Amino acid sequence: MKLTNAISVAVFGFAGGVFRGLLSTAFDANGVLVANLLGCFLLAFLTYYVIERDLLAGWLNAGLGTGLIGAFTTFSSFSTTTIKLTQHSPLLGGAYLLVSMVGGLAMAGLGMTLARRLGRVVDRHA
Amino acid sequence: MLSVGCGAALGALLRYWLTSIWKRQRIDWPLATLLINLTGALVLGFLTGHLAADGAAMRFWGVGLLGGYTTFSTFNTELVAMVDERRWGSLVAYLILSYGGGLVAAWVGMQM
Repeated sequence: MKLTNAISVAVFGFAGGVFRGLLSTAFDANGVLVANLLGCFLLAFLTYYVIERDLLAGWLNAGLGTGLIGAFTTFSSFSTTTIKLTQHSPLLGGAYLLVSMVGGLAMAGLGMTLARRLGRVVDRHA
Repeated sequence: MLSVGCGAALGALLRYWLTSIWKRQRIDWPLATLLINLTGALVLGFLTGHLAADGAAMRFWGVGLLGGYTTFSTFNTELVAMVDERRWGSLVAYLILSYGGGLVAAWVGMQM
């Protein structure tokens, strides 16, 4: 673990947590859902456009990917929210789980596909 | 929001540290992310039963630290990479262990 990377992860992680906190203050459990789905798209795009093609320095990759987007999304409150919703209404809990599962995978898939297409277009014109 | 940010910074750092230890093993399976997400779900479940939902302690430990420690985006990007590489067995195992395990862990934490 390099010190520059660690500092970058912590500083960007701070920002990612604050952005998620603001979204959940504004929209409750839906805020976390929005953060999670948006984050899946952003991280897949970053991974396959920026990191795979080596566009940025390593400390920025760690900061943006692991720090900013990694901390912006969360698995722990997704899990507790799903349990709480299910105890309240199994249908609502099931819907939250399904939207997260299918949505997360679809958004990450979209991020990867767009990143690769854009990468090919940009490389052809380079 | 300062306490959320500080918690998230520490959580992200802890996740980064654990992930880099696992990457040194050179085993192409995201065990670190899985363990991070399951332990995070367990501890947040526990905190949910013991801390006020809108209190300062929950903002730092729950929303901040555990929120920053666990990650949904890395998990899904790893899933998509498995789809891309047609590693179907890994994909199914990772899906079931994460979602099944995460929900069980959160529920167990809430009973503690």
